[in-house]
Amino acid sequence: MASVSVRLQGHGLWRRWLRHVWLLSLCCHLLPAQAALPTDERRALVVALCTQPAAYRATLDRVVQAVVGSSAEDAAWGQALLKGLADVALVCREQGGPVFKRADGHVDAATLQAVSEAVDELPMVPSLVLARLLKTSQAEAELFSPDVGTRRAAAQRISQAYAQINEPLVRQALAKASDPEVVATLELALAKRQLASDQAPDRIDAIRALTKAPSEATRTLLSNHQEANPAMDGLEHEALVQALKSIDRALKLGQIGSIAFSGLSYAGVLLITALGLSIVFGLLGVINLAHGEFIMLGAYATFVVEKWLQAYAPGWFDAYVFLAIPFAFVVCGLIGIVLEMTVIRHLYKRPLETLLATWAVSIALIKLVQIVFGSQNVEFITPSFLQGGVQVSAGFFITWNRVFAIALALAIFGATYGLIRHTRFGLLIRATTQRRDTARALGLPAPTIDRLAFGLGSGLAGLAGVVLTQIASVNPSMGTSFVVDAFMVVVLGGAGSLVGTAVSSLMLGEVNQLIEPFYGAVAAKVAVLLLIVLIIQRRPQGLFALKTRS
Amino acid sequence: MRTPIPLFAQAGSMGLALPLLLLAVLLPLANSLFAAGHPLHLSLFVVNLIGQVLCFALLALALDFVWGLLGVLSLGHGIFFGIGGYVMGFYLLNAAYADTQVLPDFMQFMGWTSFPAALQPFASLPVALLLGLLMAVIVGGVVGLAAFRSRINGVYFSIITQALTYALMLLLFNNDLGLGGNNGLTGFTLLGGFELARESTQVGLASLSALVLAGVFFLLRWLAQSGFGQAMVAVRDDEARLRFLGYRTDRIKLAAWCLSCAVAALAGMLYVPQVGIINPGIVSPMLSVEIAVWVAIGGRGTLTGAVLGAAIISCLKFWLSAEIPSLWPFVLAGITLLITVALRNGLWGGWQQWRTARAAA
Repeated sequence: MASVSVRLQGHGLWRRWLRHVWLLSLCCHLLPAQAALPTDERRALVVALCTQPAAYRATLDRVVQAVVGSSAEDAAWGQALLKGLADVALVCREQGGPVFKRADGHVDAATLQAVSEAVDELPMVPSLVLARLLKTSQAEAELFSPDVGTRRAAAQRISQAYAQINEPLVRQALAKASDPEVVATLELALAKRQLASDQAPDRIDAIRALTKAPSEATRTLLSNHQEANPAMDGLEHEALVQALKSIDRALKLGQIGSIAFSGLSYAGVLLITALGLSIVFGLLGVINLAHGEFIMLGAYATFVVEKWLQAYAPGWFDAYVFLAIPFAFVVCGLIGIVLEMTVIRHLYKRPLETLLATWAVSIALIKLVQIVFGSQNVEFITPSFLQGGVQVSAGFFITWNRVFAIALALAIFGATYGLIRHTRFGLLIRATTQRRDTARALGLPAPTIDRLAFGLGSGLAGLAGVVLTQIASVNPSMGTSFVVDAFMVVVLGGAGSLVGTAVSSLMLGEVNQLIEPFYGAVAAKVAVLLLIVLIIQRRPQGLFALKTRS
Repeated sequence: MRTPIPLFAQAGSMGLALPLLLLAVLLPLANSLFAAGHPLHLSLFVVNLIGQVLCFALLALALDFVWGLLGVLSLGHGIFFGIGGYVMGFYLLNAAYADTQVLPDFMQFMGWTSFPAALQPFASLPVALLLGLLMAVIVGGVVGLAAFRSRINGVYFSIITQALTYALMLLLFNNDLGLGGNNGLTGFTLLGGFELARESTQVGLASLSALVLAGVFFLLRWLAQSGFGQAMVAVRDDEARLRFLGYRTDRIKLAAWCLSCAVAALAGMLYVPQVGIINPGIVSPMLSVEIAVWVAIGGRGTLTGAVLGAAIISCLKFWLSAEIPSLWPFVLAGITLLITVALRNGLWGGWQQWRTARAAA
């Protein structure tokens, strides 16, 4: 193609024909560029940008045609022009053609050849109008990019700037588009544009098209349309009312889904923070006020793993979340066992004293971490596979990190349940906690089992810390806010009952998120607390009380 | 879980009340006899510190009454301390507004143009004092009624009260509540016609705190030695047996609990004019556990121990958190662990035990 265009250059008849095509395309922007633009045409376009603000739209559309057309040479030139304009590199001159300012001198704006003479003038700073048009033009050009991510981003920008797009070009891009997201976004943009049409049937079509993509934005658009045209005809009005009703329904559904999901994800957090506590409090009868600090230690263990991988194995960086799971479990479990051996062991018969002793441990741990890591929030880089999420429907967006938290909470719950119900170790723990004297009489090493159970509970708190790094802010005093909630879950569920813990965290999570969007976080907390107090009135030992003889 | 019945001093002796009364008399006396600069003329800072420590001691006394004698550990006494403090704050705001005719800063931030009607009932000091005690008793009564009727006791009660404290703190942090949010209430000028900034007012307040502490100490000790006190100890040691004997244990608990709440509110009311500010930090779960730690360190169930524990730990805190701020939490943690593990009756209880053991030998 390039060689053909070179041969055609300078041929009078062809040039006149081409100018004709150009004028035609300026009028209706329909025809894609088929052949390379002669230098004169290019120069005329650049000069138009320099001198004719009224023709910005038409000129830029022509440049975009060049970029997306079939001539590689034109495409390179068009891209250079768009980039030169955006980078404030175009110099318009009184004498001679416009040039681009480059790091190593100036090049002619039409031929991209270096110019020999000195250029004194300063580059042109695009006016606000031109800058806005330029952004749209760039987005239009990027609709044809080979990279699907670029195309999606461009489609979004087109959808935002729907009022000033080059409609035929966007239709052309839509015809070629294969990615469903790009197709949906572009259809939406065109529908928005069509809504401003002066033909009633076109507008009704647009309203119907907008109904298919319900969102807050389309709802606002349609209700604005309704307010702006109070005297629309019956057919259009009916379509509009129908559309608004259907969008409202979709939004309501999305909101319900969204609340249910955030409740589920909050329940996951509650479950995972309360699980370790349920074992320590329920099975051992120890009030571990330092439980929140074990969660915090787990989060900091994750931080250490993250930094270590960043420094020594950057290729495996994304795996830090998984590597941190065993690490945090072992670190927190060991610290828990040491705590049991030094302090808790002496206090098994005095639960209220364990409360004070573990409080002391918690303030010491908080200060220790503050000294070692500083008291600011620690930043975590979310692994690439947990970034972003998926739009399920209007107003209902699921983020991967929340899904990960829920999944991990369920997995850890399943593993713990299996351990307690179906292994010999679990059997020993249950035997010791339910009939301590009988178990000891049968020769079970009760102190060792207590120690391991406390270690297990602390290790589970560490795992909660790993999960929380992905969804909550991590700082030395983070534990305080979780431990109160975790105790509520255990009290409601019934101490020592894992199923009770799961049921009550689901209940509290959903109730909390049901109230929070409407009445605020504090009201949600207070309501949950009242709910617990009310339930405890009827069932003082919690929903799933464990029968013990201790 | 049984612990020996606390060893009180003989009914006739003054016990801890004597030094407190002496303090209440000597503090204003020394400050009026000696000129500023004399070593016996205590500076405003020290006087204030003594006053605060006395308020904390009163708070610890309130907790020891229910924890030591009744076996009910509340991790929510900060709630009642806070209620007393905030009500006193309401009164002081009223007084400051009547004095300066300038709306408090936070009300100006909220865009209010006049003093809110909801706070106007607190304009008179006696009414405010009464309302503060009443509110603390009502809130405490509702919590106590709900808890004791359904026999929520032991650690469950502690956890519920801690959660209540947390909820109240979140509520107070909320700016829309109209109580100053994060910054709390401040900008006080007058208390019953006395200027708060004057040294004599602060000396008077500290002296008053000592008097109130001595009075409450007398009252609670008298109650503890009466039949009611014996019933409380019986509830602590074996509630089920007492119930089977026909006692309404829930009523005994509720009465003692409400009295304790009122004392805690009184401590809050004395505390606020001396520090000049009340903010939600006072109802943080952290502080409420700390009160229990004071009592445990001093020796629970002895009343004297609670006052000593609060005084010792608060003084240590004032001193060490200024001298070695990063080590103070470790010191506090170390003391707490040592006491809970090794000296389960606390300092005063341990001392009494040692004396009894020596007398027996």
